[in-house]
Amino acid sequence: MTDLTRRQFAALTAATVAAPLTLVRSPYAAPAVSAGDVVERIRKGIGVDWKAETVDTLKAGDAATAVTGVVTTALASMAILRQAVDAGANMIVTCEPTFYARSDARTPPAGRGGRGGAGAAAPDPPPPPPPADPIYTAKNAYIDKHKLVIFRLSEHWKLRRPEPFAAGLAAALGWTKLLAAGDASRYAISAASLERVAADVKKRLGSRGGIRVVGDPKTEVRSAGLLPGSTPIAAALDLLPGVDLVVAGEVREWESVEYARDVVFSGQRKGLILVGRIVSEEGGMNACASWLSSIVPEVRVRHLPAGDPYWRPA
Amino acid sequence: MTAGEIVERIKKNLGSPWRDTTYRDTFKFGGAETTVTGIATTVFVSIEVIQRAAAAGLNMIIPHEDTYWNDRDDTTIVSRDPLYAQKVELMRKHDIVVFRIHDHMHSQRPDFTYVGSARDVGLESRYETAPGSHRFVIPETTLESLAGEVKRRTGARALRVVGDPKAKVSRVQLGVGYATPAINVPDVDVVISGEQQEADGGFDSPAYVLDAVTLGVTKGWIMLGHAISEEAGMLEMAAWIKGFVPEVPVQLVKAGEPFWAPK
Repeated sequence: MTDLTRRQFAALTAATVAAPLTLVRSPYAAPAVSAGDVVERIRKGIGVDWKAETVDTLKAGDAATAVTGVVTTALASMAILRQAVDAGANMIVTCEPTFYARSDARTPPAGRGGRGGAGAAAPDPPPPPPPADPIYTAKNAYIDKHKLVIFRLSEHWKLRRPEPFAAGLAAALGWTKLLAAGDASRYAISAASLERVAADVKKRLGSRGGIRVVGDPKTEVRSAGLLPGSTPIAAALDLLPGVDLVVAGEVREWESVEYARDVVFSGQRKGLILVGRIVSEEGGMNACASWLSSIVPEVRVRHLPAGDPYWRPA
Repeated sequence: MTAGEIVERIKKNLGSPWRDTTYRDTFKFGGAETTVTGIATTVFVSIEVIQRAAAAGLNMIIPHEDTYWNDRDDTTIVSRDPLYAQKVELMRKHDIVVFRIHDHMHSQRPDFTYVGSARDVGLESRYETAPGSHRFVIPETTLESLAGEVKRRTGARALRVVGDPKAKVSRVQLGVGYATPAINVPDVDVVISGEQQEADGGFDSPAYVLDAVTLGVTKGWIMLGHAISEEAGMLEMAAWIKGFVPEVPVQLVKAGEPFWAPK
């Protein structure tokens, strides 16, 4: 001890105190968290009963994989998988299917993707299995090569309160502080024309061609309701009468769009903005990243938006 | 002449037996006994269409799609909204009768929705691989220029496209309404259709096309919107009905595209 100067002593003490934190942050010394552990923490911590029948399952990868980082997104597209790998993350938590259908199987759905197409007579004997699909093949190969684990989290995340997709969309729109009702769905926004609000929504959400509007562009709107994801006519019938504007993800055009068209034509000063299902869900998946950070402190969790799939010709 | 007589003539001229099991192809307002002054075909029975049909002296509306904002036209879902009562009152005031033709229109040959949409978007029959295949091999173009041409011809303000704008395409599969063909068919470059669920459905074309773009595989998806996609064929429907109902005027009264796109 006598050999140590005061400065050396101070440095040593600091190092000793800091050591446990350094160890926790080190990728070499940290206790590995597996993808299965992350799923278990989600199931235990999400705060709603886990359903027996659910789409919220592992879609690819091995649950025993040690997680190096987590990415949340509305859609686990190839571009998102590449961005995750570039960022050093090997677990993806996605709101929507990875393999292009609710069934989310790693091979093309039976009966689709083969030759024949609409209007073709059913061949006899039964058709051979469809040829290998280059998109499925390449996506599977990429997942396997990089040992990615993909978990879908949709139904259960939606059941939390306040509803995270609505709260997340509001945050993306800059409306969080404008909350008007007790839940996350209604907001008192600054009065502006539907045209201006639509342009602002487009800008804030990074929309390209996916945004579509019903209503008179000059209508002044000052209250707004949110319907992220995909919603049936009942949701529009519940919400639109009480607000000037509904911002929705995806609706059936023969339902809520025609309803909104009639509402507007009948003289009610209202509007409907559709931003697309995937775009509408990114806010909720951003919120999901924050929540996952709190239950998986061992690794970095970040949100990567899949972006607006659509463009519109000039 | 009565609406019932007109429906009987439609059934007789279809070329295939009428299926009474359909919940879609039924009277939605008024009934068989209503005296018809003229017929309006349309894609959606919007309040505006009702007003314009009535103003043109046409009190029978034959739509392809629903009247009460849901496919089954289940009025119990919508009747608590005062707009439902307003719509019904408007139809009562003008002695309107609504008879939907959807399922039988799609099983009719040719299916006028395809004929009308192909005409509307500019897919010429000489490019169709076989009658009724709805598959067209057109002179090679880019997805951007094909989509631009479709937009110009249809006037669709809010058309949506997925895919690489510069991709060279020539093999086009046409779908209509919600019957969107899957985009993962090997010898199809582009699907043009009306509407399809964006994700979590039978086959999620937007996600598939996004991945195709990332992987450098040529695929494109042009969505016209449901109304634009299926309204064109109601012109063919009007001409067909005119052929066996010469007593009253028959014309298309367009519901039109419900959307606009912000700048």
